[in-house]
Amino acid sequence: MSKKKLFMPLSTFLRRSLYSIPPYCPFDSSQFKCSTYISLPTPPFTPYNHLSHDPSRYFLLNAGISVKSVCSVSSQKIETRCWNCHATPESAPFLVCQSCRSIQPADKSIDYFDIFGLEKNYDIEVSTLEGKYKNWQKKLHPDLVHSKSEKERDFAAEQSAKVIDAYRTLTRPLSRAIYLLKLEGIEVDEEQTVSDPELLAEIMEIRGAVEEAADSEALNHILSEMQEKVKHWSNVFANAFQSRNFEEAKSSIQRMTYYERVTDAAAKKL
Amino acid sequence: MAEASYTVASDSETIGEDKSSAFPEIAIGIDIGTSQCSVAVWNGSEVELLKNTRNQKIMRSYVTFKDDTPSGGVSSQLSQEHDLLSGATIFNMKRLIGRVDTDPVVHSSKNLPFLVQTLDIGVRPFIAALVNNMWRSTTPEEVLAIFLVELRVMAEAQLKRPIRNVVLTVPVSFSRFQLTRIERACAMAGLHVLRLMPEPTAVALLYGQQQQQSSHDNMGSGSEKIALIFNMGAGYCDVAVTATAGGVSQIKALAGSTIGGEDLLQNMMHYLLPESQTLFKTHGIKEIKSMALLRVATEDAIHRLSSQISVQIDLDLGDGLKINKVINRDEFEEVNRKVFVKCESLIIQCLQDAKVEVEDVNDVIVVGGCSYIPKVKNLVASMFNGKELYNGVNPLEAAVRGAAVEGAVASGINDPFGNLDLLTIQATPLAIGIRADGNNFVPVIPRNTTMPARRDLVFTTCHDNQTEALIIVYEGEEKKAEENHLLGYFKVVGIPEAPKGVPEINVCMDIDAANVLRVLVGVVMPGSRQPTIPIMEVRMPTVDDGHGWCVEALNRKCGNTQDLVTVQKKV
Repeated sequence: MSKKKLFMPLSTFLRRSLYSIPPYCPFDSSQFKCSTYISLPTPPFTPYNHLSHDPSRYFLLNAGISVKSVCSVSSQKIETRCWNCHATPESAPFLVCQSCRSIQPADKSIDYFDIFGLEKNYDIEVSTLEGKYKNWQKKLHPDLVHSKSEKERDFAAEQSAKVIDAYRTLTRPLSRAIYLLKLEGIEVDEEQTVSDPELLAEIMEIRGAVEEAADSEALNHILSEMQEKVKHWSNVFANAFQSRNFEEAKSSIQRMTYYERVTDAAAKKL
Repeated sequence: MAEASYTVASDSETIGEDKSSAFPEIAIGIDIGTSQCSVAVWNGSEVELLKNTRNQKIMRSYVTFKDDTPSGGVSSQLSQEHDLLSGATIFNMKRLIGRVDTDPVVHSSKNLPFLVQTLDIGVRPFIAALVNNMWRSTTPEEVLAIFLVELRVMAEAQLKRPIRNVVLTVPVSFSRFQLTRIERACAMAGLHVLRLMPEPTAVALLYGQQQQQSSHDNMGSGSEKIALIFNMGAGYCDVAVTATAGGVSQIKALAGSTIGGEDLLQNMMHYLLPESQTLFKTHGIKEIKSMALLRVATEDAIHRLSSQISVQIDLDLGDGLKINKVINRDEFEEVNRKVFVKCESLIIQCLQDAKVEVEDVNDVIVVGGCSYIPKVKNLVASMFNGKELYNGVNPLEAAVRGAAVEGAVASGINDPFGNLDLLTIQATPLAIGIRADGNNFVPVIPRNTTMPARRDLVFTTCHDNQTEALIIVYEGEEKKAEENHLLGYFKVVGIPEAPKGVPEINVCMDIDAANVLRVLVGVVMPGSRQPTIPIMEVRMPTVDDGHGWCVEALNRKCGNTQDLVTVQKKV
């Protein structure tokens, strides 16, 4: 096991703010009591907390936090009611009560695809995300609930952050792919050393090309080349994921990661 | 909820607003510009700009000190020009607030017709007005507070209610430290800042409202529209790209710089009288008068050049110093070429950050005082292939109107017609990070991250058995740490002894919904899943005035013994 695997983000030790969650909430509230305390060692992980980071730092999350537990939660449906008016939800996902418009506490069984009303597929219509994202924000954004109770403002902060992360994660092909695997309980170590000599040689070559690129024309050429490659491997991933060939899915994610990094490097130089 | 009856506001916090009042007070919108200011409020159905007793909606941002009773541009009936010539009038404070005396912007303010003195050691500049042949010292916060009070009095008289909550517009390039200074000025004026909005995002909100209204009128689907907002005033130039649909505006990217009409003016003054710096260095009564005369005449010439091709300048600065010159528009544009190039680069950067192509932009909005300059309009339009500029907003009122709309939205006001059914999702204007990898600035939250935001990054020690680490937090875009804005610093102690590169120092930055920044640092040893020492949480900024000294002192004291490096990514 590589040493890098041990890195963890701070957010795994503590959760911001500290929502004073009412006891009848469908998850454990004992760890969060006061808004200025940091609940130290306990691992009260909600899935989005881990995923609220750049895919480039997903490796930080591999510290043995079971993502499978997330999936197991989603399989057992919890009986949910609005904390305010006790109405039963009319439609899923239940982020806001339809009867009293109260914002609900974040429910970890709701994943990013649920939020956008999507099937857990790699191929999604990215252009439809923005509209749904904005619709959610209009109901959830902390800026809009200042007249509500402190409890609900905390819910708003939490839910709104979750929707932002969901939008960010699903918009970009690479983070979407990593997230899909994560939902399957598969961790992707992006920092894994390249063992395939062919790929290694290719990476060195492209890196050299970026370094030597003298003008924007050459850089743009590299950029379009990389876009093609990302597209290709994105298709490979889609097929592999469809047929549940997770090893191949993982290696295509690795490829996409490298090409995206080159893209970033080239774009920076441009 | 019942128990907490006594609370202490955090030191860096202004007193919280009273959230329990049954009737929400509508916060007013204030635009305190470098040279002009205005106030607007949502009157129940639309935004209304408030006027002063002289029936002006846009007032000059200056304060005249006289016989112990300073008066600002809002109420003052006296001829501004006369006060300007005597050195008793202080202005341009928005350019100086929260800056130390090593800042080039402070240095370029030294030829203003009052006293701006620098010691060049990183402390507050000394600012003073000449009153009855005496230099009376003041601060940017005090000057801003004086006309904020005047604006408040004016608004209270018209609205017939006490005013407490305000939404202010601020430049994109303001650091968080500068924002605390603005809040300080407001507190001095008895105002509570409900929100500080980057200027172009206030315009974006107004645009979002207009788009929503027009989509209601046309019963349209309200499809997404992308707008680029270019706002250039006297002190600052800001750009934003916003994507708006159904009343929700997402700020895709922001870019800003301390360039504006003031730079155009300074360049022209230098062009007309290249030796002005040395001539006026002594800041005597005569020199102040000459400086002011030159300033007024040049400003007037620039204004006239917006409608004329050339202007004649005849000026007698006293002591046989005379300027007689014809300036044409080409000369003006050539003298200020660098400023205009910078404007272009801000637009390019903003589009790139937003990942938006020129063709994708539905509307180009140019506002601010400089938008009257033909060159500014042309350069923006030409970057969008000659696209016609958006004409739905008044260039001088757009920002304050947006602030007033935000004031109503943030006060929880409902509009039966849905005109306040609006939301702006903000992005961070500047990257926030720490010093690491030698003297480099390593961003933890990159610029243009959607807020609220939380990111973390792992660092490690750079010496064997290093037990302490210095966390120096900066905000900005420069590669070298010290070229960014310092927000604060603290030390992590008690790191277990280990070879370099082993302890994991996790730096987490969190910006909450109220735009409060917290920096958290935890230390983890490999193999453990628990932090080895208590996590530190520091609310930033912690720096006070004169912070230019601090980092140098720290460097002298600690050298690089407490440095950090980023955990390297493999190839």
